[in-house]
Amino acid sequence: MTNNVNRGRMQHGAGRRAGHAQPPRDKAQLTSQLSQALPVLDVTESTAQMGTPVITFDHVTKVYPAQPNKPALSDVSLQIYAGEFLFLVGHSGSGKSTFIKLLTREIKPTKGHIYVADEDLSSMRNWRVPYLRRNIGCVFQDFKLLPTKTVFENVAFALEVIGKSKHVVKTQVPEVLRLVGLQEKFGKKPDQLSGGEQQRVSIARAIVNRPPLLICDEPTGNLDPQTSRGIMDLLERINRTGTTVLVATHDREMVDNMRRRVIALDRGILTRDQDRGVYGFDV
Amino acid sequence: MSSIGYFFKESLQGFVRNLSTALGSIITIFLSLLIIGIFLIAASMLNNLMTSVENEITITAYVADDASESDIQKVMTSVSQMQDVAEVSFTTKDQALENFSNSMTSNPEIIEQLDGTNPLPASINVELSDPQSVETVANSIENDATYRQICEDPADVGDSIKYGQGTVERLLQITNYARYIGIALIALLIFIALIFINNTIRLAILARRKEIAIMRLVGASNGFIRGPFLMEGALHAIIGSILAVGVLQCLRVFALPYLQNAIKFLDFGVSDMTYVMIYVFLVIAGLVIGLIGSAVAMGRYLKV
Repeated sequence: MTNNVNRGRMQHGAGRRAGHAQPPRDKAQLTSQLSQALPVLDVTESTAQMGTPVITFDHVTKVYPAQPNKPALSDVSLQIYAGEFLFLVGHSGSGKSTFIKLLTREIKPTKGHIYVADEDLSSMRNWRVPYLRRNIGCVFQDFKLLPTKTVFENVAFALEVIGKSKHVVKTQVPEVLRLVGLQEKFGKKPDQLSGGEQQRVSIARAIVNRPPLLICDEPTGNLDPQTSRGIMDLLERINRTGTTVLVATHDREMVDNMRRRVIALDRGILTRDQDRGVYGFDV
Repeated sequence: MSSIGYFFKESLQGFVRNLSTALGSIITIFLSLLIIGIFLIAASMLNNLMTSVENEITITAYVADDASESDIQKVMTSVSQMQDVAEVSFTTKDQALENFSNSMTSNPEIIEQLDGTNPLPASINVELSDPQSVETVANSIENDATYRQICEDPADVGDSIKYGQGTVERLLQITNYARYIGIALIALLIFIALIFINNTIRLAILARRKEIAIMRLVGASNGFIRGPFLMEGALHAIIGSILAVGVLQCLRVFALPYLQNAIKFLDFGVSDMTYVMIYVFLVIAGLVIGLIGSAVAMGRYLKV
């Protein structure tokens, strides 16, 4: 059902994107330099609202028991629409990881509610959580691949453990590996691949089940700029198929170049939410 | 059903890929069960031995030379109706002398010294079904009115009844202690094995926590995560216990005859049934420990 809703949104998102054609690269660089000079916008320049959002944060506060006086997230409210591509930026300890963990229901909010596809995560039963996670692909900085399995097996693993049939595995895994550009490396082990290739495997694993939402936590954190660009291109291609993509990152250049929606967190507070934004923090 | 196939495939692969940890837990299970098995077999041998020693315990009630046939018969019937009495027989004076001379073949001059007289009394012999109650039976015979009339020494009836007083009590005490200590030792061993095996399985799962984390990440349900690990735990347990049973059987077939030859005066024979029961117990115990161990060790990684 989630999928159907998502397909509907996809056209929406695509239509919106068509309105803002990508500026040429040199111009983008210029903009990024300019933007550093500009004062940081403190306004919620909200996205043009359309339909119901897929993800809603409703005054979410998360306090870890270890630091009762310093909330990891404090009173965050925002909405994410289907088909969006957005960046989550902020310094270390600003609450990015907490934000992502809340979305995958690894932790529960202390206050407030999070809705994913109209379902309240705070009141979700434990046994339903795996089904939530099947609708969310996750990519991490450290890839999290199984070193004993081949590329093909690593991706197939994600389908096998949710009980997909052999037939589905045999058709979807090669398809998704071709999509990420690893058609030649089926039988390789992760340690025989470069960092960028490993991240592609991890992306393939995240999207092989065709989740409507893809979350990437510092996907380019371990990679050189050239490889990072390749990964971001891939994420953009995935986004174009209708998947909502959320990227938490430190990569200033990437954010400034791509001019997508940017959500900025600072010490747990949502400081900025703007369309076609820039990284915006002074490093 | 297809998931059972998946569990099986995955557990076999896990087995091959984590060969060293798998071997570790198999060897732990194997050795623990082997030691338990050896103890169980040794304990049942000892038990057999003690039972055969205990079965040697009989009560001999001496009868006066002038006792009438009917009185003896009367005593024998009443004794045979007592609890825990297996068999009652009568030894005449002549038989007693013959038995005595048979046991004295090495120095026949003792018999010659008797000059044809027979100082030995006739006796009623009582065999017991439960040696533990030898004292009770002896007391009942002593209190039997008819026996009091025909006993060898009416002044001290108890003196006419012999069953190795003192020695028998000591023997029974020792065999009982041996049984308790055996049971306690086996319980202790099983406990130690449980902890050992649980620990090894815990380590094997710890080595694969990354795999579990990824399974949770992509939305595998807890049952699906647990499946292959439980299957693997069971596989290790079965292999370990079959190895233990195999080694025990080898010891029984090849080593036991040598031992029996070397120590002829003890009987190491234990019935086939006992062996089968011990083997079945070991396999089931291994399986249960393997499954419970895996389930417990998994628990902490399955929090949502």
